[in-house]
Amino acid sequence: MKALLYLLITQLKNRMLALKKKPALLILYIFIALMLFLVIFVSIMMEVESTQLNFADERVIYMILGGIGLLFLGTFITTGLSTGSTLFTMSDVGLLFVAPISSKKILLYGLVSTLGKTILASFFILYQIVNLKANFGYGLKEILALYLIYVIITIVGQLLSIATYIYSNGNTKRKKVIQTVLYFFAGIFLVTTLIIQRNQQVSLYETVLRIADSSWFGYVPVGGWAVMFFKGIVEGAIFDVLLSILCFTILSILFVVFLTRGTADYYEDVLHSTEITHQKLKAAKEGKKYSQRNRKVKVKDNEYGLQKGKGASAIAYKNILEMKRKSRLVYINGYTIIASIGAAIAGYNIKGEVIGAYTVLGALLYLQFFLTAFGPFKFELAKPYIYLIPEKSIKKLLAVSINSIIKPCIDGVIIFAVLTISGGCNPLTAIFLALAYAACCALFVGMTILYQRVLGAQPNMLAKAFVGIGLIAVFLGPSIISSVIVAAMLPDALLFLSSLPFTICCILFTIIIFLLCGNMLDKVEYSEK
Amino acid sequence: MLSVRNVTKKYGKLLANDNINFEVNAGEISVLLGPNGAGKSTIIKCIAGLLKFQGNIYINGNGNKSLQAKRDLGYIPEMPSLYDMLTVWEHMEFIARAYSLENWKETAETFLDRFELSDKKKKLGSDLSKGMQQKLSICCGLLPRPKVILFDEPMVGLDPHAIKELKNIIMELRQEGSAILISTHMLDSVDEFWDSANIMMDGKIAARRTRNEIAGSGEDLETLFFTITEGDR
Repeated sequence: MKALLYLLITQLKNRMLALKKKPALLILYIFIALMLFLVIFVSIMMEVESTQLNFADERVIYMILGGIGLLFLGTFITTGLSTGSTLFTMSDVGLLFVAPISSKKILLYGLVSTLGKTILASFFILYQIVNLKANFGYGLKEILALYLIYVIITIVGQLLSIATYIYSNGNTKRKKVIQTVLYFFAGIFLVTTLIIQRNQQVSLYETVLRIADSSWFGYVPVGGWAVMFFKGIVEGAIFDVLLSILCFTILSILFVVFLTRGTADYYEDVLHSTEITHQKLKAAKEGKKYSQRNRKVKVKDNEYGLQKGKGASAIAYKNILEMKRKSRLVYINGYTIIASIGAAIAGYNIKGEVIGAYTVLGALLYLQFFLTAFGPFKFELAKPYIYLIPEKSIKKLLAVSINSIIKPCIDGVIIFAVLTISGGCNPLTAIFLALAYAACCALFVGMTILYQRVLGAQPNMLAKAFVGIGLIAVFLGPSIISSVIVAAMLPDALLFLSSLPFTICCILFTIIIFLLCGNMLDKVEYSEK
Repeated sequence: MLSVRNVTKKYGKLLANDNINFEVNAGEISVLLGPNGAGKSTIIKCIAGLLKFQGNIYINGNGNKSLQAKRDLGYIPEMPSLYDMLTVWEHMEFIARAYSLENWKETAETFLDRFELSDKKKKLGSDLSKGMQQKLSICCGLLPRPKVILFDEPMVGLDPHAIKELKNIIMELRQEGSAILISTHMLDSVDEFWDSANIMMDGKIAARRTRNEIAGSGEDLETLFFTITEGDR
């Protein structure tokens, strides 16, 4: 145990000492701490009207808390069915698991270590103190209660995930039983919600609020217990608080007993998830994308080989083959479906308002702006082949980009067709919005090339958000302004053409970028990142 | 023939390669030796056209970034870099198509057979073990039958059979007139076939010897390496 205590303390000490060598990180931490104190100070000084009439509906917080609890319950069980979760790092596996130390003590070390990390990682909740005070009249006590319950459900969730993995690993029958039970209770919950809505004749939103506020929901594992704990704190119901803590404690003890029963050989079970976590962290540190295949990819005889392509075009056909392996419908994937569902919901609600249809376009483009960075282009640049293939740089750039340009064309047609069918806009507007979407996505592809050419790498999300604002101002600013001017000049019957100037500008900018950066592969450096 | 002339490569303030000069002639196996961080992989990547540098590098008389140079060059990276969603055979097909190769199938079959990958043709890149990935990476690099070949630590992760086969292939390529540059720490693995050795220290070529030069001196590659890298230590 001394060794484990030494490890915990030394790691903590070295982590703090390491900040001396990273002044920027130290400044960031000091800034975060100062902001936290400031937020707490402001919240203490802030005067809030004592009348409850001004506050938002408290049940919203119960709904969010209960929702997070249930989401964690479902997510951690699902993770447990696939990879499991871990309390350890690869260095723990390499050095601790083989050391002559009791596996139960090592589990305790893992729990304490994870608890510490979770406590730190959950600090973000405390920043909501001003918001929660202004809207709900909550004080420090309630915020700390929210913080504490979030830490508790995270830890319990991880234990649940490990226990699920140990119980179901390599046993398809058990996996199916757990899945069935999970779906069964999710179904029951859904049906109950609908029955309550029907009986009480209220909206779905109001029904969910009523459920979260109901006394019976407090007995629902994890999500309900979390609400029971928080409500107990808010209402001063000590019994509810103690009952909730008791439920969480019993569940945690059961998991720990399950993990440490017999010879407590959980090493093998956490190894896989530890390796995956390690790979994810490594990929994140190196700025790479970690992709884990959840389904076994079968190589079918009729989908074997590139079949076409010579020279640079082989890259494009290779990308198509890779896309086929990821999605049977090649260009139509999860994004297409989710975006189409979103468009259908939006279309149903906006009921043909032109501004609404343009808002859908804006929202989709906003999403696409961030998604394009993770397209095949970045992936291809991280391999040496694209640099080595004896073809002109511009040809290779076009080949690697072509599928990223075609996909938004197909997505655009599907998404805006759905928007039209659901009543969001008329067919003519939809056609031109789809064109605008495809053209702007092509511009985003061009922008990733521009990033690589100018910065020598793809920026991370934060940097991209900042750089992107500038680039959007340069490229999309004139495009949007030209469309607004044209829209103001067009008669009502031709308003569907409003997006055309935007589309033309995007295409022109894309062509200019490709022409200017065409020699990029001869100029930039290969980086495995 | 490979010619490296006055090549300097900096990463910010770090001088990774400092005015490097050497040549590898057709039908010659040259080894790049040196401790960790000496700049071996950097010069290999510069030659492959993957990094920017000051100076000149010629592949059979053509600048290393030219299309003709790329056609003549083969590069086997230290870390195999494969496509997760392509099978073993599809990797070969992709290289063949990208390099516009004709009648490549028989050559591909032979390489896969020699590296015991014939029964893994339909396995995806992501399903291969580290060693198998390295074997496939070698096959991809050699498929275009390059005249100048760069190997960066090619033996790492290979099983004894594959090491033996790779050595045979390297010697066959020399006989066919290819210029071969191998960067390695495993001195034993190249001891039997090296023709010239460039020993790097702190980004510079600290010494260059040919096998003929040390033939009568009783000096071997290992002694030479330690004499130069450790001096009188």
